[in-house]
Amino acid sequence: MPVWTLFGLGRGLATTPWPEKQDSAVQPGVLGLPRYHSDRCDEDCRACTEVCLPGAIDVKDGKLHLDYGKCIACQLCTEACPSEVLTKSQDWAFGVRERKDLVWAEAFASPAAQELKNGIRRHFKRSLHIRHIDAGSCNGCESELQALNNPFYNLHRLGIFFTPSPRFADLLLVTGSVTYAMRGPLLETWNAMPEPRWVMATGTCAISGGATGGGYACGHGLEGILPVDLYLPGCPPNPSAIIQALLLLLNRAGQRVSGGRYAG
Amino acid sequence: MTPTAERVPGRGMKGTMEHTVWPHSIPQTCEELMRAGARLQMAYAWFPRPGQPAEVIYLADRAPHQPFELLRCSLAEQTQELPSMTPRIPLLGWYEREMHELCGIHFRGHPELRPLVLHEGAVPPMPPLDPRYQPTAMMPYTESPWDLPPVEGDDVQFLPFGPIRADVLESAQIVFFYVGEAILHCHPRLFFKHRGMEKQFEGLTPAMGALIAERVSGVDSVAHTVAFCQAVEAACGCEVPPRARFLRTVLAELERLYNHLYYLGHLCHTTTLKVGEAEGKLLAERSKQINGMLTGSRFLRALIMPGGLRRDLDLVALPGKLRTLQPEIFRYMEMLEQTNSHLDRLITTGHLPQQFAFDQGATGPVKRASGIQHDLRWDHPYAAYGQLAMEIPMRTEGDAHARVQVRMEEVRNSLKLLYSAIEAIPGGPVRVEFNPVPLAEGLGWCEGSRGSTYYCVHLNREGRLARVKVKSPSFSNWRVFPYTVHDTNMMDYAINEASFGLTMAGCDR
Amino acid sequence: MQADMLLAMALLWVASAMVALMGLPAMFARLGIALGCLAGIVASLEGLAIGSPVVSLGVHLSDTAVQFHLTNAALWLMLFGLIPAFVAAPLRNGAAAGWATRRWLTGFAITLVGALGVMGLQDAVSFLIAWEVMSLGGAAMILGEGVSEAPGRPVLFMLSLLEVGAVAILLALLVIASRTGSCDFSSFAVAGNLSTPGTLLLALLLLFGFGAKLGVLPFYEWFPAAYGSGSGATGLVFSGIVLNAAFFGLGRGLFEWLPHKGFWAMSAAGIIVLAGVVSAILAIFNAFQEEDWRRMLSLSSAENACVAVAVLGASWLFLACGLPEQAALAWIVCLLHLAGHSLAKGTLFLTADGVRSVTGSYAIRQTGLLRNNSAVFGIGALFAAMSLAALPPQAGFVSEWYVFQSLFHGMQVNVLAARLTIAIAAAGLALVAAVALATFAKLYGVGLLGDHHVHTRHFSAGRSIGIFLLGGFVLALAVGMPWAVHALGSGSTALFGLDATADMQSGWLLVPLSNKFAFISPTKMIIAGPLLALLPVALFLFSRRSFQFRRVPVWSGGRREDARRIATTSLAFSNALRTFYGFIYGPTHNLEREYDHGPYFVKRLIFNQEVAPIFGPGLFRPLARAVRKLAEAVSKLQSGYLNLYNALIGMLLVLILALALFYR
Repeated sequence: MPVWTLFGLGRGLATTPWPEKQDSAVQPGVLGLPRYHSDRCDEDCRACTEVCLPGAIDVKDGKLHLDYGKCIACQLCTEACPSEVLTKSQDWAFGVRERKDLVWAEAFASPAAQELKNGIRRHFKRSLHIRHIDAGSCNGCESELQALNNPFYNLHRLGIFFTPSPRFADLLLVTGSVTYAMRGPLLETWNAMPEPRWVMATGTCAISGGATGGGYACGHGLEGILPVDLYLPGCPPNPSAIIQALLLLLNRAGQRVSGGRYAG
Repeated sequence: MTPTAERVPGRGMKGTMEHTVWPHSIPQTCEELMRAGARLQMAYAWFPRPGQPAEVIYLADRAPHQPFELLRCSLAEQTQELPSMTPRIPLLGWYEREMHELCGIHFRGHPELRPLVLHEGAVPPMPPLDPRYQPTAMMPYTESPWDLPPVEGDDVQFLPFGPIRADVLESAQIVFFYVGEAILHCHPRLFFKHRGMEKQFEGLTPAMGALIAERVSGVDSVAHTVAFCQAVEAACGCEVPPRARFLRTVLAELERLYNHLYYLGHLCHTTTLKVGEAEGKLLAERSKQINGMLTGSRFLRALIMPGGLRRDLDLVALPGKLRTLQPEIFRYMEMLEQTNSHLDRLITTGHLPQQFAFDQGATGPVKRASGIQHDLRWDHPYAAYGQLAMEIPMRTEGDAHARVQVRMEEVRNSLKLLYSAIEAIPGGPVRVEFNPVPLAEGLGWCEGSRGSTYYCVHLNREGRLARVKVKSPSFSNWRVFPYTVHDTNMMDYAINEASFGLTMAGCDR
Repeated sequence: MQADMLLAMALLWVASAMVALMGLPAMFARLGIALGCLAGIVASLEGLAIGSPVVSLGVHLSDTAVQFHLTNAALWLMLFGLIPAFVAAPLRNGAAAGWATRRWLTGFAITLVGALGVMGLQDAVSFLIAWEVMSLGGAAMILGEGVSEAPGRPVLFMLSLLEVGAVAILLALLVIASRTGSCDFSSFAVAGNLSTPGTLLLALLLLFGFGAKLGVLPFYEWFPAAYGSGSGATGLVFSGIVLNAAFFGLGRGLFEWLPHKGFWAMSAAGIIVLAGVVSAILAIFNAFQEEDWRRMLSLSSAENACVAVAVLGASWLFLACGLPEQAALAWIVCLLHLAGHSLAKGTLFLTADGVRSVTGSYAIRQTGLLRNNSAVFGIGALFAAMSLAALPPQAGFVSEWYVFQSLFHGMQVNVLAARLTIAIAAAGLALVAAVALATFAKLYGVGLLGDHHVHTRHFSAGRSIGIFLLGGFVLALAVGMPWAVHALGSGSTALFGLDATADMQSGWLLVPLSNKFAFISPTKMIIAGPLLALLPVALFLFSRRSFQFRRVPVWSGGRREDARRIATTSLAFSNALRTFYGFIYGPTHNLEREYDHGPYFVKRLIFNQEVAPIFGPGLFRPLARAVRKLAEAVSKLQSGYLNLYNALIGMLLVLILALALFYR
């Protein structure tokens, strides 16, 4: 009969030092959202818009309009583009507070100041309880969320926990593009949470519907349904990106994306 | 659209042996098939022409190494009606209900006509899969009470568990009729996550369709995409280069590996073997990291497309990484098999008799744990499986422990397959030019980590997707699951559900 | 003064019975009964304070003068039996209107008269008559009020078992009377003499006899069916004054009529202790599975009575082992236990009648009664349920604590067997206390809680107030225990030669003979509790300023569920114990499935369940069968031939002649 306790102790420490050691070696090789080099773009070619299924890349006023909030990281645009305007990158730590930061802005704006909203957020800095709700995802986001409590990421060391009831929750973490049947339960859950409470849209489906949004059974994410405090695109966003986004919410990490531009 | 009466030679569902049947001879034909030892796999309907009656298609697996049998039946002009085959072939029960709700076809004599896919209170203006229905918004819906089998007895308590459950889980509601500890009747109420994925395929090019196929079930991306691509490739007569076949095999086995490792960890969670849970999930994480390092995607996405693969992969480092992981995996599985407290919770839990498994359409490790030794990789080889040696694990006990053992052996087999595939992989291109053929139809299949996945693809005049039928293994197995829960107890429920290892997203689509 | 009160009491009750029989409006009978109870309460209080006189009734039965005297214990038990009866008399119970109510009131009055006689009459013949009158009154109550359509069988079962008990009492009295030569109870006293095997036999006969009314095994089996055929008020009477009267008889019999020194007395005491504990365990286990207010409360009464019997046995055991102070403590504890029990049980029986008046049935089901009625009755019912579940600071907690403290004194006994017995008893009673807690959690939780129900009727104001008062009395008894316990001082002195109550209280604390070991103090708790509660109240009021309040529906997984449908059922609450203790319950669990086209398609499910009574099939049914067989055999005498009958009479006459002539 094996003694699991001794076995576990013998395995040693398996946890990644992320995010103290800020390097992408925590997810070696994993691709993120494509990087946009607007200067290289030949404005007559429309190769990328043709292959973009969710419509993240669009042409407006003769210029390319890029909305990372709709990007599912399928990399087709990076392969279709003849002039290396959109390249594969490891930019997956894409958590932002405001939706407009996911949209490529021509005029470069410096990162928005980290304003504390009514000062209560500091109380949750070291202890956050999350209620997750699956509003119609493909299970990829759930798989990455479930990975957060494995020994490699070990979310508990950061003081962040998943809780079984919305009554104990501070943050409502939504995945999926909100199907017709989950809309009611989603609002019930939100209603059941005591204030202060926040919402995080995890994955492109929750932000804008992603590849699965629209149709007779599916909405377009949380737009118009709940007030969102944090957006994290990705299909699915990997656990390190989720951790970075949660720490961003708690003011323990900085936002890396501003005006669609990825820093660092 | 070509009406059925004029079957153009060379058309028809590629990859199958097709028969056209009249509606009234469906029962007879199905009987003949069953007597010949075939097993029906699925049934679906589609509308070849907008405004015209639908065509219903039944798919059967006659025998290993023989083509699939396909029955095509055009419905009569006036009535969209067919006799229900469910009393005779129970596994068709859910398919017929799905056709009823999504295509508006009536099945005479169906014993369980309750809302399944579309919940009570959902009122689409017309059957959703009708090509004339182009929705610009979600259909109208009001939350309504469930239509449940009546349970009489003052003392019986009604417990609707879900759709939001404790822990990070997918949304589904399990309705229990129970008295304290003993469960009298269990009625899973799924399809909260019905996104209408089959409709989403309509009008896309096959290359774009692969992106949707990847996201039908997020943790079975490779299985679904391989099945989809094989379907369109069969339809358009596209021959994928050998290197691509081998690479697809490698990706499919990598997906099986991380899914099974996570399954073992999650099962330890339900039996509260904490260190076992941590170890299993850590091994799954390692496996996903290998995926990420190899392909850039932890879920092996953005690679497979009709015609082969998008880009080549460098497999040089892979065997080394697998060999580093292998002894840890084997040691872990060995320790699990020696932990009495863990095994105690699994042995005799959730017993699924062989007859039930066969009749209700169980598939994958669930089926193989109940004594039915079938595996699509062996019986109908696809990708490179025909050139690789493999064994099909089987158990006859049909309990949770048997399901675990089958999956453990599959892990071992996967590793063997991976090494032999990497060794035998030829050089050459990984993709060919893919040209869609108008009005083509094809069947593709893949044995995913949860069971058999089928895609039936119909292309339209422009060579775009007109109808894609997705048969996911979770859809088949969720039907079987309640039969292992009736008359058991609440303490075993979570373990039983974890031992099936299903997804809601795959079932609900 | 007291004698007058007692006379008034008896006369009022007899008058009420006749008034009811004669057909005058029920109000007069009710008034008579209530006034009689009030007189009795006043007399008891006076008697506890200054003692009660011996009254001679001026009648002679079988050469013995019939005398009436209420001892200390009798006064105490009568007081706590009459208080619930007083509250119940004016309230309408579940009886059908008109004649049924009057019949019930007749039965009520007769029962009270009988109980008075049992408690006070001092000679064997009149005692037996009073005992039978009490049983008769009880049967009359159930049969008369017509709550159930077929009360015949349960009542017959009850009466037959009670008759078995009565025969045992008769035998015991005959044996003792023949030994002492007189029917007068004052001549029965033999304390001090060494015990003989006869002592054991007599003790068992008394246990059997009085146990039939108290619910000692196997007699508790008539409780659920009989109580379940009557109304809550009937149950109140059965579990209050009648139970107390029976217990008084047992206590007096053991302590005043039987010697307590020697091996036989010790073994008799040990058997009584074990019988009490085992009966209590079986009774409370069965109570937990019940789904009807009356049946559950009836078995709980059996359990409480058996606990008292067990402690009584322990007291006798202590006496036999030469520890009079501990014996006195245990004896006092029994009486405290029954006092709290009568009050609390009465409250809950009144609540049961109220449940019936609102919902139309006595079933324990979540129908939101607490929510839809005034808080007044809820508080009273809560106090009573807390008391029976032995939660502080109620009277039941005080007596339960004392029970265990007195059993702990068993460590001082120097006889190993006695120590072991008491240790086992303590373990058994701990199990009983745990299941009792679960039982009353179920009764209050499943019986009174719930949501979203609309009732057209409500508890009547009188009933709510009555329940509140009785429940309040329970709390008052607990809080006033440091002073109330002294009322039993004279009784303790009379029986044991010392006043243990002096050592049971130390200021506002209650202590088990020594204030160095342990103490409780409901009196202090009742002050400290509300003061401490001010803290969260203050926090609540303070927080109202900073945060807005938002009322949201109950969380149930995301969909709004009908609260009525998902309410906890009685069986769901108790099924775990039923499964775990299957060897006691012998549960049958029957699920029928109706199929459609084969075993895969279920159309309908029908479920029912049952627990098997232990003694019914094992003991009573075979007995009944044997009796029936005997009756059939004897029925051969009913041949119908006149000559045969003449011959039999002739033979009998010859036999009597022979006896008269030759027997000296």
